[in-house]
Amino acid sequence: MATLISSNRSRGVKNSLAKWLITLGGISVLFTLVLIFLYLLYVVKPIFESAEIESKTNISLHLAAGEKVLSTGVDELQEVGYQINDAGSIDFYHLKDSVKGASNAFKIGDSALSTSLLESDDFEDKQVAQVVNSFSANKLVHTVTGKTLLVQPNFYATYDNDVREIIPLLSYPLGQNALIIDEQETPLTELSFAMNDELIIFVGFTEDKRLIKTTYVADDDFGSSNDGYDVEYETIFQEIDFNHQVDEIKVTPDLNLAFVRSGSTVYVYELNEEDDANLKATIVPTFTNSTTQLTSMALLSGSSSVLLGDSNGSVSQWFEVATDNGRKFKQIRTFETSEFNNSSNAASNTNAISAIYTEQYRKSFYTMTETGLVNVFYTTSDAHLWQGQLVSGEPEAFAIAPRANGLISVVKDPANSNKISLQTFSVHNEHPEVTWQALWQEVWYEGYPEPDYVWQSTSGSDDFEGKFSLVPISFGTIKAALYAMLFAVPIALTAAIYTAYFMTPGMRKKVKPTIEMMEALPTVILGFLAGLWLAPIMEEYLPAIFLLFFFLPLATLLTAFIWHNLPNEWKDKIPETLAPVLLIPVLMLATYLAFSLSGVLEVAFFQGDMRQYLTNDLGIDFDQRNALVVGIAMGFAVIPTIFSMAEDAIFSVPGHLTSGSLALGATQWQTLAKVVLLTASPGIFSAVMMGLGRAVGETMIVLMATGNTPILDWSIFQGMRTLAANIAVEMPESEVGSSHYRILFLAAFVLFIFTFVFNTIAEFVRQRLREKYSSM
Amino acid sequence: MISINPKALATGSNTTFESKLDLHNLSPEQVALDINKLNLFYGKKQALNDITMSIPKGQVTAFIGPSGCGKSTLLRCINRMNDLVDDCHISGEINLHGNNIYNKHVDVAELRRKVGMVFQRPNPFPKTIYENVVYGLRIMGENNRRNLDEAVEKSLRSAALWNEVKDRLHESALGLSGGQQQRLVIARAIAIQPEVLLLDEPTSALDPISTLTIEELINDLKEQFTVVIVTHNMQQAARVSDQTAFMYMGDLIEYSDTNTLFTTPEKKKTEDYITGRYG
Repeated sequence: MATLISSNRSRGVKNSLAKWLITLGGISVLFTLVLIFLYLLYVVKPIFESAEIESKTNISLHLAAGEKVLSTGVDELQEVGYQINDAGSIDFYHLKDSVKGASNAFKIGDSALSTSLLESDDFEDKQVAQVVNSFSANKLVHTVTGKTLLVQPNFYATYDNDVREIIPLLSYPLGQNALIIDEQETPLTELSFAMNDELIIFVGFTEDKRLIKTTYVADDDFGSSNDGYDVEYETIFQEIDFNHQVDEIKVTPDLNLAFVRSGSTVYVYELNEEDDANLKATIVPTFTNSTTQLTSMALLSGSSSVLLGDSNGSVSQWFEVATDNGRKFKQIRTFETSEFNNSSNAASNTNAISAIYTEQYRKSFYTMTETGLVNVFYTTSDAHLWQGQLVSGEPEAFAIAPRANGLISVVKDPANSNKISLQTFSVHNEHPEVTWQALWQEVWYEGYPEPDYVWQSTSGSDDFEGKFSLVPISFGTIKAALYAMLFAVPIALTAAIYTAYFMTPGMRKKVKPTIEMMEALPTVILGFLAGLWLAPIMEEYLPAIFLLFFFLPLATLLTAFIWHNLPNEWKDKIPETLAPVLLIPVLMLATYLAFSLSGVLEVAFFQGDMRQYLTNDLGIDFDQRNALVVGIAMGFAVIPTIFSMAEDAIFSVPGHLTSGSLALGATQWQTLAKVVLLTASPGIFSAVMMGLGRAVGETMIVLMATGNTPILDWSIFQGMRTLAANIAVEMPESEVGSSHYRILFLAAFVLFIFTFVFNTIAEFVRQRLREKYSSM
Repeated sequence: MISINPKALATGSNTTFESKLDLHNLSPEQVALDINKLNLFYGKKQALNDITMSIPKGQVTAFIGPSGCGKSTLLRCINRMNDLVDDCHISGEINLHGNNIYNKHVDVAELRRKVGMVFQRPNPFPKTIYENVVYGLRIMGENNRRNLDEAVEKSLRSAALWNEVKDRLHESALGLSGGQQQRLVIARAIAIQPEVLLLDEPTSALDPISTLTIEELINDLKEQFTVVIVTHNMQQAARVSDQTAFMYMGDLIEYSDTNTLFTTPEKKKTEDYITGRYG
């Protein structure tokens, strides 16, 4: 007995070792899969999170009684904030390590940094009426007596003792002396401006009710200016014929348009001609409720859209759209801030949008009401991102940090009007442009005539907005796969049937491994052959390609017919194994014939050039790299997959079933159709699904042979862009952590789901069918 | 070697099936199949040597012999199933109604309709019971529902399966037991009304009770069909057959009525085999 136990020990150890190793292997495969899945989800998740705003610092300001804050701002890193008050001074504050309630006045050495902006003798009263902001950092300070100063609060970083410190610095692009905007030097009630290197355009409304446009044309350029160096420029004064009260003026940063709001009507003036301003359009919003009025206006980043807020708490977005009668301003979408309180009772007055603040680089905007209720929207994705009360009552000044990751506001305590505080908030709103709806539904982008599915992630322009619709690329994936399957399935299945059922065993032994070896062919080779060799040939000999679809089967059938009727003495001379090889020269001849006929056909039917005939006469667009090329190239990649599995399935149909059918007087053909294919159907089905899965996930061929045009068009002559190719093309260019980057991960996730679904269906059906035929 | 003269004088048309036939002198009406000098080669190896015999109509003829003796090969020659085997060459004749089935112009599918076959392992198709039975009719182009229904009931009754499956004709045939499947396969074979039914070890994959059922069935079948059965089991041959042929190494050693062969065999090899000296 003892010997038995000792001899079994090493076997037992080996046995349990093997068991554990195999289990470990299986679990680690599962674990890796789950890990990939979770990582994809982890990267994708932030794009579906809504915005979050939380309070950061709260600094009490020590202002003289009655002083009002007119403007505020913060540096890019949100370490230094400032406010400009009506006494004409700008005060800077530390925000980084603030102590609640402490003054935090910015100090260089021992003195707090508080500078009077109106140093020049031109400003005798030193009483500021308004501070006008622009999309750049420039601000216009306009005094009650109509004097104006252009100031730019700048920040730079120093590294004393290797510690970064942000130091504020004021610059005056046009010098510290007062600028003249109105020729008659009347104070302006409304003022807006925009500038570039050569031009500054001011549009203002004077106290004596004149709408004026003033243009500064730099002799050299405004950009190179700094303090102590006077920029020379020429001033052009103009008066615009306008007979209404003006409530708000906005000049677009590209200096093209001025929006002038008078009550509930917005007049759009063209500014691009230096000495003229033409009325281009008027925007008159229609309201369901007659008492509703416009209350505020703002320009969206990118200078195409204008946002109009009304007393009912909705904001409408308008931009120019190409119509049959030229370009027209159209109301694109509406954002409701008071979704829960839409009635026109007294409460609706508190819904009125008192101000709209837009981000500098993105299409997000913040709405403010008198009660201090803030709503955050993103225009393109139609997303309502946040709603809440940041401060009680309307703030005296409010600004969005340059990187849109923070807010700064100056608030008066409602209980004690002398108690003014500077509050900052951090904003977590990294991916407002992405919503499920924007990814999968039509979106109306700025400048587009209608809502559309668009994938366009990058462009040369800075104010470009990424267009991330997954519809065109998912469509491209399905289109490429379907055309590939259309080409591959008939060939692969008929080849599998022939090889498994009719071919002599000797030949099968050679043919099957050969086709299976095709699967190992790197797809990049197929891809560049398709893109660089096949596509130009197909373009040149287009009729030949279509002829081939008829010629090759016809030639095959004809050869078979002749072979069948050949006298036996002739047949016997050729070994049975070699008989199918006879087809090869015939098929080559048919191909040659098709290509020779191509030119003749083009001359006879297509006016000499089929491609041009398609485009000019039939109006069918033709891409050189199109679905036909992809169908054939990817078809070749998929054929071995389908062939191999389907052939196995057909070959493994039990011989006794075939004999049973033949013994009942069925012909070979009847046996094939009624018994063999039926029994092999689970395998054939899963072969096709595996092929589809492969076609969906295939990257290199579609990358090189599709032209990568993300368009929605079933045409066989048009290209497409697939999910896989899209990831391969764009991943190296996307900034890590950006919306684009995360959407590419989402595309990967969608692709994963696609192949997962196809393979699962294949496996599920195969299991079901196998169960059905299990007892054979 | 036993030589049979098919043109021998008839022993009379009033001969009953129970009476012993003179296998060497059958009248043309009594003959179902006439095998004449049949040789079969697999490549260069000869598997059947000069087989000549007549199989009488409406009787059960059994082929017995040790494994590899050629009895199944001979059976498969009768409906040309050996055509499917590569490298198989046949010389000699098998006459059905005086026509050689190896003649060039013979339609093999038509021949197999007249000479049905049941294999060792039950091989129902992965279809319903009903569709299995009508398979042969459908491939002949019969699609009339009433005719098919009639054929199903008649065949299943003949195969003694009707009562067991009449309530589940449209369920999968693969749900039946092995014995039921084999009877279904027999029903499928007789649905097309063949003249000859070849049974290739029909019970070797079955349990004893199913075997008994099939044996009783074979006894009933000979009223309608000529039955040729290959069996490993000598008791089975003794129980079900009227004639028995003993084959050894591709030769037909002895062919006579079952009673004679098992009680007073003429050849030494036959006696050795039936007494269990080899096999």
